[in-house]
Amino acid sequence: MGDLTQTSLEALLLLVTGDTELWSIIRVSFSTTLKAILLATPVAFLISFILSIARFPGRWFLISLFNTLLGVPTVIVGLLLYLLLSRSGPFGDLRLLFTEPAMILGQILIALPLLVAMGLAAFEGADRRAWETTRTLGAGPVRAMLTLMYEVRFGLAAAGTAAYGRIISEVGCAMMVGGNILNYTRTIPTAIALETSKGEFAQGIALGMVLLLLALGLNFGVSIMQRRGEIY
Amino acid sequence: MKSNLFLQSVSPVKTADDLPLLKVRGLTKRYGQKQILDIDKLDLYAGQAVLLSGKNGAGKSTLMKILAGIERYNEGSLYYKEDRNKEDQARHQRFLQFSFLRKKLSLSNGIIYLHQHPFLFDISVRDNLAYGLKCQRMAKKQQAQIVQKALNWSGLEHLADRNAKTLSGGEMQRIALARAWVLDPKLLLLDEPTANMDTESREQTSFLIRRLINQGTGVVICSHETKPDNRLIDRVLHLDNGKLIESSRAELNQTRSPDNETSLPKTRAAIKPCKDLL
Repeated sequence: MGDLTQTSLEALLLLVTGDTELWSIIRVSFSTTLKAILLATPVAFLISFILSIARFPGRWFLISLFNTLLGVPTVIVGLLLYLLLSRSGPFGDLRLLFTEPAMILGQILIALPLLVAMGLAAFEGADRRAWETTRTLGAGPVRAMLTLMYEVRFGLAAAGTAAYGRIISEVGCAMMVGGNILNYTRTIPTAIALETSKGEFAQGIALGMVLLLLALGLNFGVSIMQRRGEIY
Repeated sequence: MKSNLFLQSVSPVKTADDLPLLKVRGLTKRYGQKQILDIDKLDLYAGQAVLLSGKNGAGKSTLMKILAGIERYNEGSLYYKEDRNKEDQARHQRFLQFSFLRKKLSLSNGIIYLHQHPFLFDISVRDNLAYGLKCQRMAKKQQAQIVQKALNWSGLEHLADRNAKTLSGGEMQRIALARAWVLDPKLLLLDEPTANMDTESREQTSFLIRRLINQGTGVVICSHETKPDNRLIDRVLHLDNGKLIESSRAELNQTRSPDNETSLPKTRAAIKPCKDLL
């Protein structure tokens, strides 16, 4: 117990003193995940919107596919990407393996099904009258979609938060396609795994604290937004 | 440009002698195997107030949504009288066929559908009223002027900055009518506009509908009531088993109550013209 307290204090000290290595890991984590979520979210919400509004052959197949992909372990996504991006793979010439873009690609693939599935639930939960009203008042498809997105903004925010939480905390794909290279591809979860295996608990706990604070902060933010929505 | 449209809207009301604003031919609608609508012919005219009656589930709302272009139909054609250029319209009076959209959504120009329980966006009343104007990319200053007129028109100035979701059912219906009014619609499709309202809200909403009719807007009011408020109505259509049956003028007059006629006469001069408010 005493060791745990002492290690936690060391972890706090690392955070507040601005330990270069620690903050480099945090920077890489936020840089890759924010880029991934910013790239994945518009595409995913557009897919959700089309799936909720349009009726076309194969719609149910696509919905089932995205729901199924929710359950794919991140390490499998990493393995697939590894095979595709390795030197002998079909995209080996791109030399993306063990780079930040490869990690971003993996995080997009992990986030996309979750964003689509939760986005679809949000859009389908919206009042059908909202869509009909936008259209009868003369809104084009894009404006109507943006209006509808505003109406279901709390559901979409929850989808974004859940997806972000998933990619910033995943370790399997980041380890396989990133390679855990310090200052380049070492992220919070991969660093925690590495440092713990080396017996360096202080850095692991410090990074764990950052992840925990992030998760709590995001969920708290969504709760406040939902509360505001309920007032009306 | 918008103010000109508003002035035109109080011009003499077109009669049934004019070409129809909307023509429907051979319209069918099915849900699965069940046939909901089978309408050979329907003509709707500008400035006419039509009551669309029928039982619950008869397909009234579906028909109105199809006419507004927000619901698909299976077969048939809808034609909307072209009015992009009013001078040309006087010369040519031709119809714009919009069934080329392959029976999918055929969004209309100047036809607005209002739900039984209108949907107001989760923004202020003022922004709700401006929504259609924003869609037309109108300048903000002009938008503000028209929205202010709409608030005066509906008598809801005191609610301008309230979130629209916090309003009562009657207030929502009046805001929805005002939101349609700012767009100067040629045809307004009202789905049970006064259902489940108290007497006061019903009167206030009916008053606004009368104002719209008196300024020349064609109105179709859908109702399942067997004794509708005929003070507003020029023409009655009954939907039964997917077929439209038109009541004759004599039948309509027979159903009119003398009390109604005297208490709220349906003369266009009886209501203060909207122009006065502009």
